[in-house]
Parts: sequence; structure tokens; C-alpha cells
Amino acid sequence: MAVNFTLNGKPRSFSGDPRTSLLDALRNDFRLTGAKDVCGEGFCGACIISLNGEPKTSCLLPMGALDGTTVTTIEGVGGVETLNEVQQAFLDFDVVQCGMCFPGMVMTLTHYLAENPKPSRTEVKAALTGNICRCTGYERIIDAVMSLQGSGAEVAIQT
Amino acid sequence: MTNPMDKSAAVMNLPRRDAGDKVRGRTRYTVDAGGSDVLHAALLRADVASARILNIDITAALAMPGVQAIAMADDAPGLHGMGIADHPIFAGQTVRYHGEPIAAIAADTLAQARAAARAINVEYAALPAVITMAEALADNAPLVHPDWKDYEILFEGAERKDNVAWQATVDRGDTDAAFAREDVTIIEGTYRVGRQNHVSFEPRAVVASFEDGRYHIQTSTQAPWTVKHVTAKVLGVPEAAVHVTVPAVGGGFGLKFDCSLEPYAAILARMTDRSVSLVNSRKEEMMTCLCRENADIRIRSAVTAEGEIVGRDASVLMDCGAYGGEQVFLTTMTAHTLGGNYKLGSVRICTKAVYTNTPPNGAFRACNGVYNTFALERHTDEICAAIGMDPFEFRRRNVVGDRDIGATGQVIDGNVLGPMLDQLAAKYPIERRSGTLPDGRLYGRSTTVGTWFIFVGPSAATVILNADASATLVTAGVEIGSGTMMQSLPQIVAANLGIHPDQVIVKTADTDAAGRDLGVGGGRTTVSIGAASEAACAQVRDQLLDVASGLLQTKPDNLVLTAGRIEIKGRPGSGTTIAQVVQHAETTIGPLSGSGAFTAPGVPAMPGCAAGHFIDAIDVPVFAVHDCEVAVDAVTGHVEILSYRVVQDVGRALNPRAVRGQIQGGVVQGIGYALSEEITINQQGAFDQTGFETYLLPLAGDVIPIESDLYEGAPSIGPLGTKGAGEVPILNVAATIGCAIANATGKPISTLPMTPPKIAAVLENREAFVNFDHLG
Repeated sequence: MAVNFTLNGKPRSFSGDPRTSLLDALRNDFRLTGAKDVCGEGFCGACIISLNGEPKTSCLLPMGALDGTTVTTIEGVGGVETLNEVQQAFLDFDVVQCGMCFPGMVMTLTHYLAENPKPSRTEVKAALTGNICRCTGYERIIDAVMSLQGSGAEVAIQT
Repeated sequence: MTNPMDKSAAVMNLPRRDAGDKVRGRTRYTVDAGGSDVLHAALLRADVASARILNIDITAALAMPGVQAIAMADDAPGLHGMGIADHPIFAGQTVRYHGEPIAAIAADTLAQARAAARAINVEYAALPAVITMAEALADNAPLVHPDWKDYEILFEGAERKDNVAWQATVDRGDTDAAFAREDVTIIEGTYRVGRQNHVSFEPRAVVASFEDGRYHIQTSTQAPWTVKHVTAKVLGVPEAAVHVTVPAVGGGFGLKFDCSLEPYAAILARMTDRSVSLVNSRKEEMMTCLCRENADIRIRSAVTAEGEIVGRDASVLMDCGAYGGEQVFLTTMTAHTLGGNYKLGSVRICTKAVYTNTPPNGAFRACNGVYNTFALERHTDEICAAIGMDPFEFRRRNVVGDRDIGATGQVIDGNVLGPMLDQLAAKYPIERRSGTLPDGRLYGRSTTVGTWFIFVGPSAATVILNADASATLVTAGVEIGSGTMMQSLPQIVAANLGIHPDQVIVKTADTDAAGRDLGVGGGRTTVSIGAASEAACAQVRDQLLDVASGLLQTKPDNLVLTAGRIEIKGRPGSGTTIAQVVQHAETTIGPLSGSGAFTAPGVPAMPGCAAGHFIDAIDVPVFAVHDCEVAVDAVTGHVEILSYRVVQDVGRALNPRAVRGQIQGGVVQGIGYALSEEITINQQGAFDQTGFETYLLPLAGDVIPIESDLYEGAPSIGPLGTKGAGEVPILNVAATIGCAIANATGKPISTLPMTPPKIAAVLENREAFVNFDHLG
């Protein structure tokens, strides 16, 4: 039985094994490789996508449970030529190194700032509990987020 | 011709050109390359540590759906290694570690390949295993390589015997006489450290194909020329038959400095005539990581009452796992890490790489240095306690300075560590080193020093100056995340040609386009590829100024390159654009390009004092001073880092913002090594930590902002006075945290990682006894 869902604003259908993870379906079937397969166990956050407006680790979501849902991946954030404010802040602060964790970081923090536009530094760190970075040592990511204080991060994730 | 460039023009906080695609998820790493047009491969790995293989039956697996080919030992006859060719890529007759590949399967889907791997039937006859170095060095220990004498030696001069894969020694001065003096105190310390997994977020991954009689390997590597060399060696084909390209690499940290998965994919591509993707699962990455090795260390010192170190005697055992790998080379480094930092009247060091039936180890950011610095700095604090001297004062008196000699007799150029210590102490005065905080936790502070180096070696570069005044830089350098290829190299080329770095196109690494390069590691890229790029630019500049000289009717020496223009000196606006000169050149001498090369000059050792060493001395020393404050919970053993400061010798910081980013990231990786990242090896010879639930990486809440000062102006042969800045930040993190915890608790801290249960045990005087008799 096919799973019908909305992916980055467009209706899509998946007819493979319903036990396939959303992450594998995105990367292998839809060839959207922005979500990264890093730990495969829900710890690292590199595969985070937006499911009905909530950030979720796509490695732990079976396709069979997604009928009728709305999924937005990192490819659905911002526009072809534009970055959202979180992405722009990452560029402005020279935050990026290897880059593998950043699609997940963007998904988590974009959602978080929409919910809590004026967080404290400690709150931002708590929000990143499920996003691991091996290169940067985190602080510059926090610096970039804190620079958005009060400006009200643009919510570019469609729901 | 004189160099008309202004060195300061290279210094800027250039943003990364790859960041936009990375934050949008558009960057295609090697793991993203395998679509429906490629076959997918899986490895069958041994699930025993030591065994003879009696039979491998692939009949059932070959008949399974989607299976296209299965490769085994007969398909890859060659042995590879560093120093000794001891490593086959498949276990054929003997399994030497848990996780060793036995067969590689290519199938239409990954699930089919993995199912076929499970269907291969291997019959083993168990052999006794040596899991620890103590077991490997025991009398009559089973040999991991019974035929060790028969292996091809790739680098002469080292002692090897039984389970000792390699031995490197230093012997300078009369150490016995120093220890026999009546006016010295003798201090001895023993230390044990565990393994560390790099956890690069992109696992090792490759896509290989066979095109026009040659192998094309697209791979996630730091060292494309090593991949080319090793793949050819184990496949038994000419090196010219292997072509390696490297897209963006999702983290390396040393893990990808050696060839790994590439030969398997290459063999399967040839067998199937298809492109084949092979990617390690996270569990495979955890279980077969070429870790920072575990090590056992003993240091003895003879020190006078005035704090002069008249003799030092040290023994270091490095676990290389089942094959020699990088550890064979890294035995060299002890001379400059454990034997570094301080003036030594005499020194004797023996470092052995020891075979065990465990997964092979490899290179990891400041390899060998992090644990030897931990041991050395803890030992130094123990010396200070024994002779009653302030630890800062002891270091200030004893750190190496101008004209002092290093462990192998190298003469040090310049006073660097001393002024760096002064800079730290002036900015952050040291008021106390221990105490109790208002909340009851134990407070400790420490300041340590570290000596590292730039691993120079050969690099090549080609620079093409295009008719639109853009330049193309062609090298085998790889962007692994540190930013070198995105920031420092375009900055160097741009400054040399009088254009903006945005006008420098950086070709991704391609062994068909660029000459040999040792690889991105050892802090060498900015120095070695940078120097080769400067040499290439000099050729381009000579041609450019020669043509411009004709056009502008003045001598080349009278011209300067700036902001995309060639001006007559002292007369801004008098000249013409670089683009116009290049366009003119194309009609007279042709397009402009230059080639440059660089290699290590090779600083010599004092004759007769180093044996088994791959390098005699260090071409570019790099120094670091770290300082931290900790709070230790005496009940739980939990450590909180209250402050962390770094003074780092950078030569010249081309991109200070990027350098500080490396310091923040490197120190945090060191915090993980010091406090939480633990690997334990069970009786089956396998790691207990198979994923992120059990291998504990630092999270955002575990870290603090690292305060960094960049120390500029120390001597360096690097272009524009640079030194590599990305490797050294991790060097003395475990040392500094370890010394601070020791100060806080008043207890000897002698093992890594210092997890809360271990610290709680030390506080309650119930730490596990460690027998170091095997250190000799």
C-alpha cells in the first residue's frame, strides 16, 4: 500500500517496504541527501527534518507511519537563492567546518527560534541536546543564534 | 625577480565559500554520491579476534537476489603498511582482529549485499589471542604475525621482534651518570591512556568505477595520493592505473589519512564493470575505527634542587592493533612530544609499537602528542611537588628556548614557549591552584605547555591565471572541514597575484590533475601546499610582469600587483588591469601558468642519538600553552570546566577568525578525550562501545567558550611565516584538565579518560591497580 505524504510542498508517494526509515527513503528513493545518516540511532540530530511542523530524527521514523503527513527537509528551507536567518547567521559567524551536522542544526534551531525568539545562551544549549557537532566545539553556533536575539527569526519551514 | 607583494594583503577573515551549500544540505559528500545507478557493497567481517580460516563457502551468497560479485583474499594479493608491509586487505588464512574483512560483496541494493554477507559460511579454528599489550609482551606470548621476519621492509633501521612491530629509540648524553648523581631527586610516574574514536560524521566511504582500463576512485580521504599508492600495491597494478578524486570530506581528524575501503570498491568495480559504492555503517566505524592508540607510559627524571632536569628515561608502548599502520611511524614522535617542552641534560627514550589481536589503530589529530603531553605534564607537576618548586616557575625556567637542543639534538630556533607562558600569566594571573568552591566542589587550576610540529613533506601546485584575471589553483589538497582549501590557500594565492581570494578557483583534489601530495594532516596543508602554491604563483607573476613590462614600457621590477591591476610603483592608476595583460599575453606567449613544488628540508639529528626514526628532527616546531580551571564534585566525580585559555604559536594567522574556530573545536575534542570518550576492549577483542549511546561525545551543554590568544612571529619556513593551526589545539587539553583535577583533588591522576566513576574511585582511594611490569 502506497504512503502518500507532502514532501517540501509537493505531494509524493512511497510504495516500498513500510519499515524503511524516512531517512533512507529521502536519501535513496527521493535522492534528497541533505539529511545525513550519521548515527542511525536518534542521538546525533544530523538527519532532523520537520514532520507536521515538529523537528524529528528521520532515522527513527518508519515510512509506514507517515501517510497524510507533511515533511520538510533542509532542501525545503529557504529558497533557491536565499538563506533563512539561521543559515545566514552561520555564514556570518564563520561557523561551518565539515558541514555534516549543519542541515540538522538548521532544522532544530529554526524551529526553536520560532517557538522561543529570545532564548538565553543556556536555553539554546539545551535546545541542542539532540544535535552533535564533532568539529566546531559549539560555541560559535550559539554565538550565531544569539545574534538573532530580538530580530525574530524568520520561520522558513512550511507546515 | 623581486616579490612585489605585501604580506599583510593575505591576512583577512575570508568567509568560507562552501558554507552556503553546507547549511542548505546541498553539498554532495562521497556518502551522497551513490544513487540508483551504482551497485552497493558490504563487507563480511570476522567476529573472532584470532583464528585460522579453514574454509569460506560463498555458494549460497552468490545465488542470492541482486548479488553481482564477491571478492576475497585471492583478488588482492598485495600487502601494504608503513615501514613494514604487514597488512593484507582481506583475511585469507588468518584472522588477526575482530572486524577484519574476509569478503566484499556487491549487489543491486545495500540490503541485498548485507544479506549475502550473512549467508557466507566461514569455518574458523580458534587461535589464542593477545588482547592487551601486557599479554602481547609476556614470555611465550602467541605471535600476531608468526611470519614477521618475512615481511617486506619499507623503511630500514628499526629493531623488530615477535609482537614488537617497531622500536624507536633516543639516546643522547650519559643518562646513567645523570641518574647516579648524588645531588638529584629521582621522580618516576606511570600513565595509561585508552583509545579515542575520531567520529568523523561522514564515515569512510568510496565510489569506484573502472573506466578505459583504469580505476577511478571517488573517496572520502585526506590523502588521495596514499589511496592511489596503496590501492595499486594491494591490487598489484601500476600506480598510473589508479585515479583518485575527492569531493568535500565530512570530517577526518586523521582517520582518513590512510587508505581504507578504497581497494574493496575498486576490485568489485572491475569484477562487475559497474560503479560500486561502499560506505561503513556507524557500527563498523565504531568497531573498526583506526583510533588514537591506547598507550602505557613510564617516565623517570633526575632533577636537581634548582629544578634542572639532568636526566630523563622514558618508555612508551603504543598499541598498534593487529597491523603496524601509522603507529610504526608515530613511534618517531615520542622524541619530540614526551622528549619536547623542556631542556634535558641527557635523555633516553624507548618507544615500541606493539601488535595485539585488536582492531588496528591510526592517526588522530596530534597523534602520539596528546597522551605523551598528558603524561609529561602530570610528571612535571609531580617533579615540582617532589622538589618543592612552583609549577609555573619550574616551566618558565625549563622550557626550551633559542639555541637549546631538543631530544634528538636538534637546535631550537627562537624563544617561543617562555614568552607564551609570560603572556598567559600576564593576562590571567595565577592566584591559586587548588581550593574549595562555595558550593563545596573542589577547585583546581593548571597551566601546561606542549610541543608539536608541522609534518611537512612533498606538495605540488599549479596556478593558472585566466584571461578574466581569475586564477585556478590545482593541487591534491582536500577540504576536510578545517577551511584550509577554502580560506588560507586562496588567500595566499590572491595575495601573491594581486587579486581578491574570491577570484581564486580551487580545484577539488584530483590525482590526474595535480602532482604528489602527502595528504591533509599534520598541520601541513597551509605550510606545504601553501609554499608550493607560492612557488607556482612566482612563475606566473614573472611571466605576467614581463608581458606588462613591455606594455607599460618600464622594467618588471618597477611594477606592483594590487587589486586586480598592475601599477607602476608609486604611481597609482598609471598601469593597466591584470586581465588586459593576460589577454595580451595569450596573443604573444600564450596562457599564463606556473608550477610549484615543496618538500621538507629535513632537519638532522645529532649523529647516533636516534634509531628507528622516520624523521630525525622537527622542521617546524609548534608550541602551545593551555590553562584551565575545573570544579570537581567529590561525591560523583563529575568535572566541570570553569575556564579554558589557550596561547597558540601560529607563526602568522592568515585568517584569525578561522584559526580561533579550530582552537574552539580542537579543545572540545580534547575535552571529550580527557573526560568522557572511553573505549573498552572485551575478551572477544571487540570494542564495547558500538554507537553514540555508549561512546560519549561532548554536547553543547558540556562546553564553554575557549579564550584564545594567537602568538605570532615565531620562526617558520611556512609561506608568509605561517604554521598549521588546526591540529595543535587538541595537544595539551587532557594534560591541562588532568593537572587541574590533580590539583583540585590532591590525588595523582594517571589515566585517561577521567570519567566520573574513575575520579570518584581515585577520591576514595579505590582505583584499579595497574601493573606496568611489561614496560620493562
